[in-house]
Amino acid sequence: MNLPAAIPTATVILPHVLRAKIGNRKSVTVAGSTIREIIDALEHDFPGLRFNLCHETGELRPFVNIFLDREDIRYLQGLDTPVHTGTTIHILQSVAGG
Amino acid sequence: MSHNRTYTPGTVLVLVGTKRGLFLLTSKDRETWEVESTTLKGHRVFYSILDQRGGHRLFATDNGDFFGTFVRYSDDFGQTWQEPEQGIQFPENSQQKLENIWVIESGRPNEPGTIYAGVDPASLWVSTDGGQHWELNTGLANHPTRERWGPGAGGLCLHTIIVDPTNTSRMWVGISAVGCMRTDDGGQSWVFANKNTRADFLPEKYPEFGQCIHRLVQHPSRPDVLYQQNHCGIYKSLNAGEDWIDIQQNLPSEFGFPIALDAHHPDTVYVIVEDPNGRNNVSEQFTVYRTDNGGEHWQPLTEGLPAGPGVRLGVLRHGMCSDGKDPCGVYVGTNTGQLFATNNGGDTWRLIADFLPPIYSVTATVLV
Repeated sequence: MNLPAAIPTATVILPHVLRAKIGNRKSVTVAGSTIREIIDALEHDFPGLRFNLCHETGELRPFVNIFLDREDIRYLQGLDTPVHTGTTIHILQSVAGG
Repeated sequence: MSHNRTYTPGTVLVLVGTKRGLFLLTSKDRETWEVESTTLKGHRVFYSILDQRGGHRLFATDNGDFFGTFVRYSDDFGQTWQEPEQGIQFPENSQQKLENIWVIESGRPNEPGTIYAGVDPASLWVSTDGGQHWELNTGLANHPTRERWGPGAGGLCLHTIIVDPTNTSRMWVGISAVGCMRTDDGGQSWVFANKNTRADFLPEKYPEFGQCIHRLVQHPSRPDVLYQQNHCGIYKSLNAGEDWIDIQQNLPSEFGFPIALDAHHPDTVYVIVEDPNGRNNVSEQFTVYRTDNGGEHWQPLTEGLPAGPGVRLGVLRHGMCSDGKDPCGVYVGTNTGQLFATNNGGDTWRLIADFLPPIYSVTATVLV
């Protein structure tokens, strides 16, 4: 008998400006097999948070960067990038300036 | 802020939306002004209003550079802010995404929970519970011509909302570059109201729609009287927008953005016109123009306004307003952070704030 695979959990670290939305914490642990599922889980636990990260069309906002263990997901598989248990995900705003 | 903000009735409150946050200016006598910042900092605040129908609720359009665009509201004059439970967001299957929230306006006095917002991409949103939940006006969103609407340089923005206080079924909106639209059935359907306004940038100079309206105002005591600044001229309508009369007359440019009215004198209107290329004062004298006869003649107002070879001031579409008092107070915010004011209908002006971020909007309210 094959047991269903456990859904990976990851630690998501949010930028200061979004921490009020997660109870003024620095990070939360959520489950998801891809970055898209991680964002779905964040939205489930903290309604409204997805709109901070993504447009209504589902695409990542252009000046929001998500790093999976220090790799920018734009250079991986975007929102479909797989997530493994124990992963640390950083959500950051783009550098602004000259 | 460290203190609870309270203001005495009769205080004039000017909300100043800027490229980097919202500021408050207050005065009891319109001579001495106090400038305060709010905790809404760092974001592009295109517009803000004070709604006094059920207390003192500030609304601001907070256009973030990174994490989204929101309506926010405050019941303590900007010290703390709330975010709607259901904000302005397009349905996921609409293939549209919110760019900026350009304007927010109160509903009628007898509709105390009703608030309207205009956004890019051009659409009208309404809340009937004081800003907590927002719904798309589908009559406008599904207009038969919608696929043929094109943006101006600022985007496809719905930037002006006028609610007729005397007719609960009638509203107008201004959209760049679509023009003026009116509903006579409470927003279920919309018609164009652009007859006789020009679109010099199109092959057909007087199309049904496609005009680049810049700002639209309604006279408070004569609801069928409208004035608009347009990319191609300044116009007046005496019949609720059925047609328009060119009132550029002796103005030195047909190009400008803001327009304001004297609530106590129906024929007194203020405009600022600009060099269309530089988008700042036409001559070396920064000038506000006033007509006292409904646009038959314009008088340059310069007393107290700066002049010189280095004066190049621009004023955006929401950068001028009046305060409803008599004599009329008029407030002009520049895209380089100066705020000028008159308390005598424009005869003399003073700089009442400087060194602000670029000013997007000013709105003035007398506190009750």
